[in-house]
Amino acid sequence: MIETRNLTKTFDDFTAVDSLNLTIETGEFFGLLGPNGAGKTTTISLLSTLLLPTKGEILIDGQTLKRNRPDLKRKISVITQEYSMRQDMTMDEIMEYQGRLYFMPRKEIRKRTEELLEFCDLLKFRKRTVRKLSGGMKRKLMVCRALLTDPEILLLDEPTAGMDALSRRQMWNLLRKLNGKNLTILLTTHYMEEAQNLCNRVALMDHGKLEEINTPTGLIESLGAYTVDEPGADGSTVSHYFHSRQEAIAFLSSLTGQASLRETTLEDVFVERAGRHLMPS
Amino acid sequence: MGIITILWEKWVEFRRDFYKITLAAMIAPLMYLVVFGMGIQTTSHGQPYLNFLIPGVVSLTTMNGSFNAIAQNLNVQRLYEKAFDQVMISPTPLWQFIAGQIIGGSLRGFYAGGVILILTLPIDTGLIFNGWSFLVMFLNGAVFSAIGVVVSFLAKNHADVPRFSNYIIMPMAYLCNTFFSTEKLPGFIGKFVSALPLSQTSHLIRSISAGEGFAFSGIVILLAYLLVFTAIASWFIYKKKNL
Repeated sequence: MIETRNLTKTFDDFTAVDSLNLTIETGEFFGLLGPNGAGKTTTISLLSTLLLPTKGEILIDGQTLKRNRPDLKRKISVITQEYSMRQDMTMDEIMEYQGRLYFMPRKEIRKRTEELLEFCDLLKFRKRTVRKLSGGMKRKLMVCRALLTDPEILLLDEPTAGMDALSRRQMWNLLRKLNGKNLTILLTTHYMEEAQNLCNRVALMDHGKLEEINTPTGLIESLGAYTVDEPGADGSTVSHYFHSRQEAIAFLSSLTGQASLRETTLEDVFVERAGRHLMPS
Repeated sequence: MGIITILWEKWVEFRRDFYKITLAAMIAPLMYLVVFGMGIQTTSHGQPYLNFLIPGVVSLTTMNGSFNAIAQNLNVQRLYEKAFDQVMISPTPLWQFIAGQIIGGSLRGFYAGGVILILTLPIDTGLIFNGWSFLVMFLNGAVFSAIGVVVSFLAKNHADVPRFSNYIIMPMAYLCNTFFSTEKLPGFIGKFVSALPLSQTSHLIRSISAGEGFAFSGIVILLAYLLVFTAIASWFIYKKKNL
């Protein structure tokens, strides 16, 4: 279980994370959403001890996470937003380095490396240095690296950024499978479809603060499960949200121009919140 | 043991860049030896100047080899590649990371100094290099590796490490008992420069190579420097909020 208590991070006079209280249960797939600069990446950096909090604390299974707690860090794997890898190492070396840093036996490193690279279709590139890999391949390698150590908690900061649609779907399947094995996952993403498909609960963050926590369905229902889109005067699309299908149909039939009815998505919720509450001040 | 992991990482790097590392370690010291030792032929303390120069050049090569292997590399890993994050996140105790960097850097400095010693072997100088010399070379490398770790943690951008090299390492290379005795520096400056780690190393290696006894206080001073910079590096890695 991950718990943050009044977690605060300031950089000079800028508060990136502001008194964040969050509880993520063991085996939960939790999404952290918010506009750019909301504090999502800073939260991940705090949870992975890359940054230390200005105030507050992080608890992993009830124990305070610190840089000098290798027993707690052993449980966590992180896929950072940036390609945090040595550019001059080959895939095999990257994996071996990771395994060694986690004190894995050499035999197991080799076996797991083979399996993971095979699974991500990277095996034939294993002798290639990171510098010579495409963005998508680097992203996949980061996933392999994070899974090598068989973590209990996986922190994912936009893990599918730069991946093609097929790879992204493969990744979703993999994450679902891992979550099914009771792996706790915290995900930040800009793909709302991803959060809607994968997460048990999502939190909306803005200006470092937690605005709302709910299930994706709960958030959608709070806005209205049905959406009627009609063209706006300036060529944009104006969306109207309704809690029942009947209400939506009644509204649709009252319109004279082109309009359409569809189910509301998490992206609608995000856009609405971003437009109303989460706008940068 | 985390130290072995870091040494393995250094070995991977060394193996891949073996020729570049070896050539880089040789060029500048060879120039010093050719220009100052063979081109401008003088004597010092009644001996050929080359006998004074070789221990100094070995010391400064060890310093440069160690400092450059750590400071620049770690700076790139921290600020550009972000590969340092991999270590910070991992359960490898961070003190073992620091220790691995210091030992790895020291070995690189030792290698660079060793290359120079091998290159000067054909010159009949009568200088003695024994276990004590190697210990001092290793210790000197350890001190400058620890300084390299601290500098890389202090750096805010890629230019900061070369800047530190220009302002601190390069003047030390010239002034610290390498090309001339610190006794020739006036008053306080002379005393200050004599106390610097490279001056101590040069003095120790020179005394040993001349077959004279050497003061253990020099080794104690180097150990003190090592302790201080290791403590600073450890403080940074455990306590700095935005590393």
